[in-house]
Amino acid sequence: MDLSQLTEAIKTGNRKAAAQLTQEAIEAQTDPRSILDSMIVGMDDIGARFQRNEVFVPEMLIAARAMKESMFILEPLLIAAGIRPEFTAIIGTVQGDLHDIGKNLVSMMWKGANFNVVDLGTNVSPERFVEAAKEHNPQIIGLSALLTTTMPSMKSTIEQLRAAGLSTTKIIIGGAPITQEFATQIGADAFAPDAASAVEVARHLVGNKAA
Amino acid sequence: MRDVRMTGRERISRMFERKDQDCIPRMESFWGDTLKRWRTEGMTDDPNVVVGNDFQGLCWSEPFPYPGQDVIIKEDADTVTKRDAWGQINRYWKFREGTPEHVGFPCETKEDWYTNLKPRLLALGPSVNLAGAEWALKIGRRQGRWCHLTGLETFEMTRHLLGDENTMIAMIEDPEYLVDVSRTMTDLVLNDFEYLLANGIEPDGVWIYGDMAYRSGLLCGPPLYRQLVWPDHQRMAQWAHDHGWPFVYHTDGDVNGVIEDYIKAGFDCLQPLEAKARMDVRNLCPDFGDRLAFIGNCDVMVYATNDRVAIEQEVRTKIEAGKATRGYGYHSDHSVPPSVSWETYCFVVDLVDKYGNYD
Repeated sequence: MDLSQLTEAIKTGNRKAAAQLTQEAIEAQTDPRSILDSMIVGMDDIGARFQRNEVFVPEMLIAARAMKESMFILEPLLIAAGIRPEFTAIIGTVQGDLHDIGKNLVSMMWKGANFNVVDLGTNVSPERFVEAAKEHNPQIIGLSALLTTTMPSMKSTIEQLRAAGLSTTKIIIGGAPITQEFATQIGADAFAPDAASAVEVARHLVGNKAA
Repeated sequence: MRDVRMTGRERISRMFERKDQDCIPRMESFWGDTLKRWRTEGMTDDPNVVVGNDFQGLCWSEPFPYPGQDVIIKEDADTVTKRDAWGQINRYWKFREGTPEHVGFPCETKEDWYTNLKPRLLALGPSVNLAGAEWALKIGRRQGRWCHLTGLETFEMTRHLLGDENTMIAMIEDPEYLVDVSRTMTDLVLNDFEYLLANGIEPDGVWIYGDMAYRSGLLCGPPLYRQLVWPDHQRMAQWAHDHGWPFVYHTDGDVNGVIEDYIKAGFDCLQPLEAKARMDVRNLCPDFGDRLAFIGNCDVMVYATNDRVAIEQEVRTKIEAGKATRGYGYHSDHSVPPSVSWETYCFVVDLVDKYGNYD
């Protein structure tokens, strides 16, 4: 079955069409992995256009929602076929910070790239990050902060993650006041300036294998 | 020393006309935690007096659907979750400042708007405090400040009601609904202002607050902005101009892509020009300074380094770029954070004194 229409429906955020085309592809006995890949291509396209300022947050939101609705239909087949996300990412807003918009957008885009995302919410202590990392064994941990006053929490979280022996887990940081310079200074593996870049950066850190 | 030969009101009026002034107008914003820190470091005066604030807000138009509502829903040792006058459910810190976590919004569906919120809002009276505006005007006139009506901008109010996600999805999927919310909220703010005028409040200008961008650009993108939000921006600016007043717009974030749209809408001034969002008066003033005044842009992140050489470079170059147009006022690029010491901030004020005078 030609899955380009499904890719297009994800790209344009047409959730009804995306859900219908997913259902049709399943009924046509299409390989679930191919269906999933066609959706990821759509999300990748949106991410790339977002980075080029051709689309903005509204377009990204409707695409992510279309992907989510299609995934809801496809997921049981993926599980039955033993197809699971290859990578796990943990994400949270650091201790002292309740801001969640940027973190939610990154979470949405990572899910769209077929990462298994564990969202720890806001005001997450370093200890909670360590505990969750030990439980889920993620390849990626994303730390978000909006306020200059909570940036030091990123440093203490990274220190505790490293001290806990999670040295191979890659840590990405982001948020309004964050810069590459700060990321380097506190020992983060990478900085992502926006939600779409967070996908690219995460894939790079895990070896470009997620797609 | 600051060369003071005019009142703030004269200075700012001349800033809008690009006429000679004694020195650049000034104002500043601070986080509450910053002031707490500074009180322990020797600050005795009101920091607005130290800065030499030239502006006086007269009112705050914010048409709440549930005036006075402040209901605690849940609390723990550090945070409290409340339903506020907007009907929003937010989680706040109990003992310090910071942006809240948004838990819920009053307008989850279009039906909520048409059957509940819109009729409720239209039935309510003015959201502004007349006695407060009269008092503020008296103080402002006595101190020679530039007195402005202040209110929220439509995109900000729409996001308060619908939440970010629903607002942005509605922009694409149900623009008529979004426009109805936007038009209604703009009408309510203008009604508030008309109410004050009818009761003898005579301001010098209008100042509208609403963030429509973040660090990497507009939240909604220029085409949707132009189609759905710009008409209300234009309407508010036109209302100010119809009364002979300038129109100031506050937004955080990177709005470089829509400066021409702002000018076309009739905006006279933009503030605070967030430096980390690529706003830079050194670029903006040469390109737009004859048509748009600017207030702000001195980077609080540079202040937070407490590095005097870097701070002087930041303040000097931005003030010089602004002064070249005669259409510039001092403000930081956001609110001064508690990572800036009182000693450092006094140094910033000294720099504004040093570089802010016109020859």
